[in-house]
Amino acid sequence: MTRRRFHFIAAACFSVAMAAAHAQSNDPLGVGRQMLEQDNPGDLWIDKGKELFHQKRGPKNASLEQCDFGMGPGKLEGASVRLPRYFADTDKVEDLESRLVTCMVNLQGYKREDVVKRAISPAGSSGSDIEALALYITSRSNGMKMNVSLNHPKEQEMYKAGEYLFFRRSGQTDFGCVTCHGDANKRIRLQDLIHMTSKEGVQGVVSTWPAYRGAHFVVRTMQWRLYDCFWQMRLPELTYLSDASIALTTYLHYQGNGAVTRVPGFKR
Amino acid sequence: MKKTPIAIAGTVAVLITGCASGPDEATTRQIAEKMVQSSFTAPEPRLLKRLEQDRAQQICSKIGDAKLTQEEAAEVVKLARASFKYPASGKLVGNWKVGEKLAHDGAGDRIQRGRLEKRKENGGLCQNCHALAPGEVNVGNVGPALTAYGTQRGNSEPIAKLTYERIYNGWAYAPCSNMPRLGATGHLTPEQITHLVAYLIDPESPINKK
Repeated sequence: MTRRRFHFIAAACFSVAMAAAHAQSNDPLGVGRQMLEQDNPGDLWIDKGKELFHQKRGPKNASLEQCDFGMGPGKLEGASVRLPRYFADTDKVEDLESRLVTCMVNLQGYKREDVVKRAISPAGSSGSDIEALALYITSRSNGMKMNVSLNHPKEQEMYKAGEYLFFRRSGQTDFGCVTCHGDANKRIRLQDLIHMTSKEGVQGVVSTWPAYRGAHFVVRTMQWRLYDCFWQMRLPELTYLSDASIALTTYLHYQGNGAVTRVPGFKR
Repeated sequence: MKKTPIAIAGTVAVLITGCASGPDEATTRQIAEKMVQSSFTAPEPRLLKRLEQDRAQQICSKIGDAKLTQEEAAEVVKLARASFKYPASGKLVGNWKVGEKLAHDGAGDRIQRGRLEKRKENGGLCQNCHALAPGEVNVGNVGPALTAYGTQRGNSEPIAKLTYERIYNGWAYAPCSNMPRLGATGHLTPEQITHLVAYLIDPESPINKK
């Protein structure tokens, strides 16, 4: 407790110093951002995810310790930075969340529809199992560099399709991802838009999800982030773990190769 | 029918460039468009049509740094000019107060958890991307600032018409720009657009006050 308190005070002092620096650098919005990043509530979800990972659960009363995220059963270090990738057992390119669902179904015996239905939790709730597990698993690659490869033809297909979809404009707003994320220093109202066609921008994205979303009081995943963009574009709802979602994630993650993972991120 | 030469060309391209480059453009489009069809849901089938691209949207979806050709730009402009519809009254300048409210309204027509956001009318979305009246802080910068729009241009009839058309379908003047074709796609009604025109050019509008 004392140590935590010390950290809090130190963080607060640091924030004030940073606030002053930001005010001078003509970035009034940086103040709040900086202060919020100091003490990320998302950290709490890591322990929850760890517990869920090792607990025997589901109709088959099994843990996820035998789940293979591409590095061998139960090996989590460096797994998330290589996802999405092709898995021979499912003959599919899977991102972290789809692989997780594959294991929850195959190893633990959950029904796929049930897991998928609960994957994105309501705002203000204690969050879903998937959200906590995805964060825990990704956190085991903290400090490691994004390293997605496109060796398999299906990985190349996903990448190319993801690129195509990133630039594809449709709907009553004529938006595609690139409309908001194709230029530097842009904002929607006061919200910064990340410049995802720049290396630095896309690296900032792929290294910080799952993230604690301040406005929702829960940890959110990349699948949620994509879903929410399509909502704002007035397009139909992006299906959880759909091919389009995996394609976009493959495109973004590959573009972001080299980014050092630091989760949970903190988003407004 | 025309798919065979494309498929052959695709196979040849893959053979020539090797496996590292992935599928060619036409194959990629096929794969990705199939994904679009299978990756989304909507509470009503008609809403799925929003995913279908019209000709202009297809042209305006250039990948990476690829540029529009002159012919493509001309086609987008032509399609845009053909899309113009004007309010039944013929009056292009409405009420700036209504326009001001619309300009700051970013809601309407979004789909979430199996429900369509039901409202009497859609918001104009302007504030999301444009600086508006002087001193307003909560505004975006994806589009150009509209502050003093009327002060700079006046409120003549040609300016009113130009402003109306740029909101209705701005691709007539800037093909494939980020600006949504708010009238042409049906996001806003012609009448709503007349109120936005008033908000931009009326000397009494906060946009044109110091």
